[in-house]
Amino acid sequence: MTEAALIFAALLAIACVVVVALPFLKEPEPESDSLDEFDEGERRRLELLESRDRSLAALKELEFDHRTGTISDDDYRTLVGPLRREVASALQALERAASVQPPSDDGEGRPPAGRS
Amino acid sequence: MARKASPARLVIALSVAALLAVFLLYTSIAGGGNPSIAPSELAGRTGTVQLAGLVVGPVTGDAHAGGLRFRLRDIGGESATRIPVRYTGSVPDLFKAGRHIVLDGRLRNGTFVAEPGSMITKCPSKYAPKRSGDSA
Amino acid sequence: MPELGRAALVVTLGLSTYALVAGAAAAYLGRRRLALSAQNALVAAFFSTLVASGVLLSALLRHDFSFTYVARTTSAALPTGYTISAFWGGQKRTLLLWLLVLTGFGALAVRLNRGWARDLIVWVVPVFGAVAVFFSFLVVAVASPFAVQPAPADGAGMTPSLQNPYMLAHPPLLYLGYVGLTVPFAFAIAALLSGRTDERWLIATRRWTLVAWTALGIGQLLGAHWAYVEVGWGGYYAWDPVENAALMPWLAATAFLHSVMIQEKRGMLRVWNVLLVMLAFSLSLFGTFLTRSGVVNSIHSFTQSSIGPWFLAFIALTVAVSLALLFRRLPQLRSPTRLESPVSREAAFLYNNLLLLALCLTILWGVVYPLLSEAVRGEAVVLGRSYFDFFLRVFGLPLLLLMGIGPLIAWRKASLRSLVTTFRWPTAVALATGVVLLLLGAGSSVPGLVTYTFAAFVAATIVMEFARGTRARKALGAATWPGAFHSLISRNRRRYGGYVVHAAIVLLAIGIAGSSAFDTVAEAKLRPGESMDVGKYTLAYRSLDERQVENATEIRATLGVSRGDRDLGTLEAGKNAYTIEQQVSNEVGIRSDRLTGEDLFVIAEQIDPDGAVYFRVFVKPLVNLIWIAGLVFVLGSAIALWPDAREQRRLVARAREVGVPATR
Repeated sequence: MTEAALIFAALLAIACVVVVALPFLKEPEPESDSLDEFDEGERRRLELLESRDRSLAALKELEFDHRTGTISDDDYRTLVGPLRREVASALQALERAASVQPPSDDGEGRPPAGRS
Repeated sequence: MARKASPARLVIALSVAALLAVFLLYTSIAGGGNPSIAPSELAGRTGTVQLAGLVVGPVTGDAHAGGLRFRLRDIGGESATRIPVRYTGSVPDLFKAGRHIVLDGRLRNGTFVAEPGSMITKCPSKYAPKRSGDSA
Repeated sequence: MPELGRAALVVTLGLSTYALVAGAAAAYLGRRRLALSAQNALVAAFFSTLVASGVLLSALLRHDFSFTYVARTTSAALPTGYTISAFWGGQKRTLLLWLLVLTGFGALAVRLNRGWARDLIVWVVPVFGAVAVFFSFLVVAVASPFAVQPAPADGAGMTPSLQNPYMLAHPPLLYLGYVGLTVPFAFAIAALLSGRTDERWLIATRRWTLVAWTALGIGQLLGAHWAYVEVGWGGYYAWDPVENAALMPWLAATAFLHSVMIQEKRGMLRVWNVLLVMLAFSLSLFGTFLTRSGVVNSIHSFTQSSIGPWFLAFIALTVAVSLALLFRRLPQLRSPTRLESPVSREAAFLYNNLLLLALCLTILWGVVYPLLSEAVRGEAVVLGRSYFDFFLRVFGLPLLLLMGIGPLIAWRKASLRSLVTTFRWPTAVALATGVVLLLLGAGSSVPGLVTYTFAAFVAATIVMEFARGTRARKALGAATWPGAFHSLISRNRRRYGGYVVHAAIVLLAIGIAGSSAFDTVAEAKLRPGESMDVGKYTLAYRSLDERQVENATEIRATLGVSRGDRDLGTLEAGKNAYTIEQQVSNEVGIRSDRLTGEDLFVIAEQIDPDGAVYFRVFVKPLVNLIWIAGLVFVLGSAIALWPDAREQRRLVARAREVGVPATR
């Protein structure tokens, strides 16, 4: 029993070491080892997209609440203006960012999508 | 947009103050809890306390008629104190001589008279101590 | 065999340390392959823990009593299901289960989010590694499940009251909850470490938090039900420290679930949310510590426990490091938006948070007070159930009311006129219900009456929301009313799932109020042939029987139950005497009335040799609503959790716009 257990344990340890070393074994000499993080432009775009989606969702919720009668006509009129302006400014900011750095072609030759 | 002072801080401050007030009111009215002591510390105490100790036999009497009688000693230590206890009310299943139990009550004429139904047995290998007494 | 288990745990410890150190280095230095390697280490740690768990499980199933743990918690005669449950039934084993679930969740959370939240994931790995190091260190060096001994002929057996189906499910669910809260915590810390202080970490962990919270809630209800039917003292919650250990993190998590919505919608409360998730995680560590270290009895038993001091040290370290990180990032956490009005949905959520937190902290105070007073004054002062009941009412009742108000108030600022219009009908319903109940005699308990009234208010608001929503969807073009109802829910899963959960809480409140504020109790010593009255019921003690089963002797008193002149059948109550474990357990008799949800609860307290039995009988109105509430609760959570195809498509489209893989 003990021998089998020790063999199994040794196999387990070896398997784990292999799994941990896998990235280094698969790419012994990579062209770039730097972390695949978002660069400044991507990060900004993501933030702007999130902010646009958030404003759109808030607008949608306001419309729905108004339709169900939770929010009165007066309240709706007061609140809808600022929200629409928020959405508009978010869309504008996105366009500005897009014109500064087109998303689908990075210009540096890196593949646009499918990074892991 | 003009920067208005946010009511959030005021709201939070007032709420915390309100909660503290409720808390202080309660503890001043209800007076906190009962001290939990060992049988060797019982001598001379007159108020209601929670007594925690080991059951010493013989166990006689009927908890539902006249009272269950047994004695209680310290859980650890070498104290020789054996406090006679008279208990009425529900008795937890795990109760027997040698068990660690806890009950509320006061010392009267040398006997610890327990509040009915206040006995709890503490069993180390279980999830929660078994108890009897008031409903939740 | 135990050597394999021990070795596997050492491997887990090694892998966790690697995940911590290499992961932190990779994140700090920006090294891709090292980061991947650390991620793999986390996944491998799960598998080696799985191997160790397999070893223990096989030892349990083989009844291998050379394992100290197997000998201490099972016996040869124990039914297989309960033998398996011994895996999580004892002290040392639950830490192994913690570790297993922790590494599993860590591996899963990292894999699911590695695409779109990659700047967070690099830091999530070392945080998970750190927690895994702690738990694997405990199971390797301090409290190993694989201690061996010369095998005795038979094991000590499982405590009889733990041999119950509810006890099979209760601990795993609680552990899913405790460990599940590690995920949002790890992401929050990762957000602080990486400087990504926006809402990304919340959205990544939204479903994890909901699953953990639901598991914790259901686990507690199962525990309460177990206490009710198995321990059988007539109640379901005793404010015991072990029970509070699970309630406190659940309350903190409830507060967190609500304030998260505010941050998602308005970007507010960023610091608050980080603090809340830290509190929830620390409380779940504290809860595990409370149940496993024996500190509840007294400080002295705590210092004798082997794992107690380690847990406290780890909790202190976690709190210190988290607070330090938070302080460092404080300037970046300033929200762009402010609270505009004390009468708004944000404000209602804030009040909800304050009340939940207040309740959580008063319970925490009640739990640690005996320990603190013993450390300070040398004398442990125990706060009784009246302390907890008082604060449950003071904070719980306003919370109940808020549940009805919050969802219907507008964001940012609600005008008084709109409030009057919105709440006109629910208030009327509540007042009418209150008056009717008062006339029916519910005035005997003021808190009970208030609970019922508030519950009616909230129920009315929920019905109103569903009705108005369905009507709006029908106006938008749905073909049929059921179709409108279905599309309403499927387009707003989180919102309407939340309403269903609120409905469950309403049922819970009604059940608790009914069974504790309006119950009846009677006691009598009966000889065979005698009877007693309890409320509207009459119980006739007919006979006492004794029978032998697999591992116990069952003694049962048979009673005839009738109400007025209607015969309601028989009820059995008595005791079981377990041969191997040398213990006696209470077996209560419960008759549940299907129409009214009322329970007739009979305890055979004392069985005299001459056949006389001392009975203690309760009538508990509406108590079964509590268990039904559990089912509604699961339904609501399931609705809120259900994957939303529309939302998925939106996320994929957004990711494509940026040029990022959208794996979630």
